[in-house]
Amino acid sequence: MNDVRSPDSGAGGTADDGGAGASTVDAGSSSDSTLTTIGLVGRANSGKTSVVMHLTGTARRPVNFPGSSVECVECRARWEGRDLRFVDLPGIADLAAVTRDEQEALSFLQGESKIGKPDALCVVLDASKLSVELRLLREVGRLGLPLVVVLNKVDVARREGEEVDVDALSARLGVPVHVTNGLRGTGVKDLRRPLLDATQVGAGTELEDFDPEELGRAVTSAAAPGRRNITDTLDGILLHRVLGLPILAVVLYLVFQSVYTVAEPFMGWVEAGQEALAAAVESGLDPGALRAFLIDGLINGVGSVLIFLPQIALLIAIVTILEATGYMARAAYLLDRLLGRFGLSGRSFVPLATSFACAIPGILATRIIDDERDRLATILVAPLMSCSARLPVYVVLIGAFFPASWAGLVLFALYALGIVVAVLVALFLRKTVLRGGQSMLVMELPAYQPPAWRVVGRSVFSACKNFIVMAGTIIFATAIIVWALSYYPRPASIHEDFEAQRATVTADANLDESVREEVLSRLEFREHRAYFEQSYLAKIGKTIQPVFAPAGFDWRITVGVLSAFPARELIVPTLGILYSVPDVDPGGYDLTALTGEAPDGLRDRLRNAKDAEGRPVFNALVALAVMVFFALCSQCAATLGAIRRETGGWHWAAVTFGYMTGLAWLAAVAVYQVGSLFGYGLPG
Amino acid sequence: MTTTFDLGSLTPGDVAQVVRIDGEDLLAGRLEAAGFWPGTTVSVVRCAPLGGPIQYRLRGFRLALRRNEAQRVLVRRVDAES
Repeated sequence: MNDVRSPDSGAGGTADDGGAGASTVDAGSSSDSTLTTIGLVGRANSGKTSVVMHLTGTARRPVNFPGSSVECVECRARWEGRDLRFVDLPGIADLAAVTRDEQEALSFLQGESKIGKPDALCVVLDASKLSVELRLLREVGRLGLPLVVVLNKVDVARREGEEVDVDALSARLGVPVHVTNGLRGTGVKDLRRPLLDATQVGAGTELEDFDPEELGRAVTSAAAPGRRNITDTLDGILLHRVLGLPILAVVLYLVFQSVYTVAEPFMGWVEAGQEALAAAVESGLDPGALRAFLIDGLINGVGSVLIFLPQIALLIAIVTILEATGYMARAAYLLDRLLGRFGLSGRSFVPLATSFACAIPGILATRIIDDERDRLATILVAPLMSCSARLPVYVVLIGAFFPASWAGLVLFALYALGIVVAVLVALFLRKTVLRGGQSMLVMELPAYQPPAWRVVGRSVFSACKNFIVMAGTIIFATAIIVWALSYYPRPASIHEDFEAQRATVTADANLDESVREEVLSRLEFREHRAYFEQSYLAKIGKTIQPVFAPAGFDWRITVGVLSAFPARELIVPTLGILYSVPDVDPGGYDLTALTGEAPDGLRDRLRNAKDAEGRPVFNALVALAVMVFFALCSQCAATLGAIRRETGGWHWAAVTFGYMTGLAWLAAVAVYQVGSLFGYGLPG
Repeated sequence: MTTTFDLGSLTPGDVAQVVRIDGEDLLAGRLEAAGFWPGTTVSVVRCAPLGGPIQYRLRGFRLALRRNEAQRVLVRRVDAES
């Protein structure tokens, strides 16, 4: 993982990237003289990523172009004692750069990139649209670099009714043309020799002069004229004027359904592992700061985030498959107009839909958006989609303060709130900071094909790895801080006080054994709470409470809100501690609990909670204000980390945090104040 | 006859031949890279719902353009061969 940022590698960050993007150059990657760099060049959809994966089979790792969000992938291989580095460049259509991806690819090809210079290029051409590919080849040929020309997707071309005469093409170009099938990997091994040779000739490959249009026509012939191919047949249904959108809705419904149902057992395993680990620590260590830190801070803190790993892996897999088969381009096509009205583009759709499960894979998925402003607008509003971590909060509060007949409506309103605010924010962004520029679509609808499973596997692996690294660094750090603030100070007076009470209970001969156990465990919990109420976190809560007073939050809700900033679902266990309910499990609530009959401990406590003067601290209006706050607030360190990663600096992460938290406060205050005007406020 | 239309004004089923691309900006470059070269035969496949992008077929592949993008391509109508 190259995400460890050295303080300053001398690459010199530009002023506008927050200085964070300048340091991801792999040490030695450009200076190591024994390492040979081969650039993979081709248009988007040409299949070069599959080719490079079959070529090396080794671990791929993302490489950031310094000072930008653009990322490409490199693979290493060692052939015949030589170390080779394959750089899979972003897809380019020609050598006139439009997007940041293309600019970075271009500077690499021209030997001006900080990630190194290519020693040779492997140009991957898609046989199914040969003439436009040949135009790119002609431009690349003028760079004066050794080239290896690869013709991919010959089978797709055949299905589309075009047969390419490879020998004629080779003869006309004056260089060998190597045929591969990126999907199955056939022909890829034969590229080794030519690639090794190309890196040693030292001179640029001279292509014969050609006209792409004429040459493309000359070497292709109709394979099966008149046959209606499978892509056209499928498009006739999937892009149907009337049926297209309903089919898309069904596909999405199935995706979400599977994310919830298929990921469920795996999430159970993570949870069980977390509990087992906590239990092992509990039995293996004496009570004290270390044990409390390991269980409450480390295992539960990091575990509450790792629980989302199965959902993320599954979503990334589905999104990659939909992308690889060609359906994603169709979804963007169908929705471009609708999203265009909100200042986004058709390509924003998949990331936003994904964000309903979790904003992190959603933000990773914005890489398919080629317009930088569209992409940023999408990244910035993606966390407003109601993710699965908001659900436990909604479930607890709706269950406690709203009649069962209202539950569905309130829940729906909270989801709708996120969407409406996202649309307004996107519109606002595109009219202000992200204004201007003509967003372009010009999007190919590739022929349908089965996904390359190796590519799917690698995408899932890489996304999971990034997520775990994030959980292990940012989440870990924030979990420690919140835990420490809630644990310290530990004045001896509290301990002595409770020891005395315990001694009294233990000494009381009249008590039944089971009653004694019960009383002792309650004492232990009250001790826990006594510490908590004088902890630094509680002090901070009481200090900050005036800020949230207009929203009707008391100091305990304020503490809950504060403790939820690393991960929003953390409010559930915090409220559990504050309102005297032990063993509140953040993952243990599901939709069925909304309508369940059984009284829930936390809900009853929340309903009956009183402040120092005996007034209730919670009612339906306060609960609604809290939920509205959670619907809009940026309470997820992992998401902010993902935004930093994907935008190349903390700048946009800070913007996201600021605007979401600001809006959340305003909305919560508005709900409480308006509600109070109508007489639904708290007495007092 | 050499009456030119813009590609955006055609309807599904129409077939046309590219005359030239209007302008020399980034979008023009994109259209050029996508294969809208003079003489290229383009057929209009379908329009997305709600007035969305239009799907074209040219040079053996499928491309979606927004209407305002298609308007930059000037074409000559060709009789759709049977």
